[in-house]
Amino acid sequence: MPLPLKYNFRNVRVRWRSTLSTILGIALVVSVFVLLRALARGIETTNSNTGDPRNILVVRKGSQAESGSMVSREQFRTLRYFDEVARNEQGEPVISAELVLIISVPRGTGVGEANTLIRGVTPSGQELRPQVKLVKGRWFRRGKREMIVSERLAGRFTGFEIGGTIKAGLDRLTVVGHFDARSSAFDNEAWMDADEARSIFDRDQYSSILLRPRDQAAADAIIKRIEVDKRLGLRAEHEVDYYSKQTMTAMPFKYLAAILGAAMSIGAVFAAMNTMYASVAARTREVGTLRVLGYSRRSIVFGFLIEGTLLAILGGLLGSILSLAVYAYVVVRKVQFGTMDWQSFAETVFQFRVTPDLMLTGIAFAAIIGLAGSFLPALRAARLPVISALKSL
Amino acid sequence: MTIGSFILKNALRNKRRAALSILSVAVSCALLVTLLTLQRELTIPPESEAASLRVIARNKVSLTQPLPAKQLAILDKIPGIVAVSPFSFFGGNFREETVTSFAQFAVDPARFQGLLVEGKIVEGSYDSFIKNRTSCFVGADTIKRYGLKIGDKMRFTGTFFPVNLDLEIAAVFQGTVDDRGVFFHHKLLDELMGDPGTVGTWYLRVASAEVANDVISRINKAFENTAAEVRAETERAFQMSFIRMLGNVKLLIGSISSVVVFTLLLVTVSTMSMAIRERFRELAVLKALGFRRRDLFGFILAESFGLAAIGAFIGIGGAWAMWTLSDLQKLTNGFLIYFEVTTRIIATGASIAALLGIISAILPSIAVSRMSVVEGLKTLD
Repeated sequence: MPLPLKYNFRNVRVRWRSTLSTILGIALVVSVFVLLRALARGIETTNSNTGDPRNILVVRKGSQAESGSMVSREQFRTLRYFDEVARNEQGEPVISAELVLIISVPRGTGVGEANTLIRGVTPSGQELRPQVKLVKGRWFRRGKREMIVSERLAGRFTGFEIGGTIKAGLDRLTVVGHFDARSSAFDNEAWMDADEARSIFDRDQYSSILLRPRDQAAADAIIKRIEVDKRLGLRAEHEVDYYSKQTMTAMPFKYLAAILGAAMSIGAVFAAMNTMYASVAARTREVGTLRVLGYSRRSIVFGFLIEGTLLAILGGLLGSILSLAVYAYVVVRKVQFGTMDWQSFAETVFQFRVTPDLMLTGIAFAAIIGLAGSFLPALRAARLPVISALKSL
Repeated sequence: MTIGSFILKNALRNKRRAALSILSVAVSCALLVTLLTLQRELTIPPESEAASLRVIARNKVSLTQPLPAKQLAILDKIPGIVAVSPFSFFGGNFREETVTSFAQFAVDPARFQGLLVEGKIVEGSYDSFIKNRTSCFVGADTIKRYGLKIGDKMRFTGTFFPVNLDLEIAAVFQGTVDDRGVFFHHKLLDELMGDPGTVGTWYLRVASAEVANDVISRINKAFENTAAEVRAETERAFQMSFIRMLGNVKLLIGSISSVVVFTLLLVTVSTMSMAIRERFRELAVLKALGFRRRDLFGFILAESFGLAAIGAFIGIGGAWAMWTLSDLQKLTNGFLIYFEVTTRIIATGASIAALLGIISAILPSIAVSRMSVVEGLKTLD
């Protein structure tokens, strides 16, 4: 016969002071774990938000990212006339050769510089990325030293306000508009005319090619065709796949979450054990009574395990709420986080995200701490000899 | 029975609890020390005497924007520069690896020799590196890690450059801050790339630390208002700019550390309260015998301070031993190089633990001093 759950609930309340500090301790462990995972999640969401499922991105074989890729004008011409490529109303192929590079820009705080990704795009490039919308000012004009920057970056660097200028060698680029890319990776970029970028930064080659195939069959065909053609030396994949694979940047946060979670939970297990042992010791007579009443050793073990887990889950809940509060603060105050993208060396700005599944992971994590912490105390309670337990004060 | 043994007996009467408290303090202290060490490692790049004399000059536009090779003639004329070599990051992947953790650089071998101050040749000869255009000069750590020897071929697939390298190991160096790099002839890279007439960065050594700043401003000025303006900075400043880009590491680790300290406080306070509440009756007896509040506070303080001190000793000592004895450079694939637990970090950890021991004694002491003797004698729990 199992112990009634009510008994466990009430017991959690009795020794409230030590119980409360254990709950708080577990809550803090859980919130650190959830918040670090939220940072990693923010980066991942940015990448999984990026790209159009219909688009194909072409880079040089062997290069890991657009920024390190090179595509020649000749290769571009070849791809342009592939008949798998869709055509727009004017009969032009929907394909864009782009130049991706980084420039260092003074930070808005006035201390130091950071790298920003500049993308030289063609009119087709705009057409291929409908998620990028102008919110202020106007688009850059072709053949002019103008650029538009993401609204998110605008606040982080000096010279990114509308009318501001950025020095690039002897040339100056004027910011004429701000865009919003709906929290995608393009929100970390500044855009300008592709050929103008090639001339300013003295590049003979493009970095990548983005194209839209006619249909799904054409998409598969063109990926195959580029893969097989050894002379091209290029690699094609769906744009969304390319971005979802850029996971390196989130790695340090994931490692930190795992290592800290493990180390802090060991401390939390010890604290929970202490609380549960004290709880068992204080209730020796009660346990004896329960045994006399006919409760088996097993139900005593279960009773204490449930109690410890319950306590830890309360801690987990509190920790999740705590991380949610931090999240709310971040959202309300519009706090942004920046880190370096390991592939392009450019600064990535992201929003950190506390999602329900992260909170659930945190609570599950707390439950494991509770189970581990109450296991030995529960065994001890079950092993108490009935007669002497009844005699104890 | 002396007062000392009385306190000791009290602390150890519930051995399990004492052990658990000590262990939880130990784990938290170890974690705290590790976090502080990580923070130090990430915010202070490895610095040596020679590193402060080395300067990196890159294109002002950005690190990835190349510089014209003809700048060398102008650099050679700038006073205060002892040696200067082109220095181009190749960023290739070794063999079949998808992420290679050591860097490869194209240099001018004859000129590069003047930059190599701390490094000693341990195998092969530098001359054979200079003579053989397809050879390379490799750090001892990389040689050891892959089990390579002089004469072996190293194949790199370019990720930034659209070419691949096939290099023969000519010499091995050891004794620099980072003994992992691979250096090869810039001429080879130029040849493969069809002679673009560009280099990645310039790497140079200045005569002394005093003239470093002057030399840096001379370099910057020399190329002002040219098509390729230059940003020169010391190797240390260069590395710092990378770390700054990782984000606010200091704030992140700092806030995690404070959460760890707070959790630690909760645990020790609750343990001490538990230990004291159990003996309310005894403490009431002591009061009745004539011990003053001050004495009782002393007993409690000694016990809590003692537990915290032992925990801190185990935790900090453990962390120190672990990070000093393990080869982290190998474990983290070269991400962490020193990870030195400094005296300062040890002192910080120890003083936080000591403070915790004192704070944890205060709350239960207040409860004890408030209790009346009669009430205390009545408590059973």
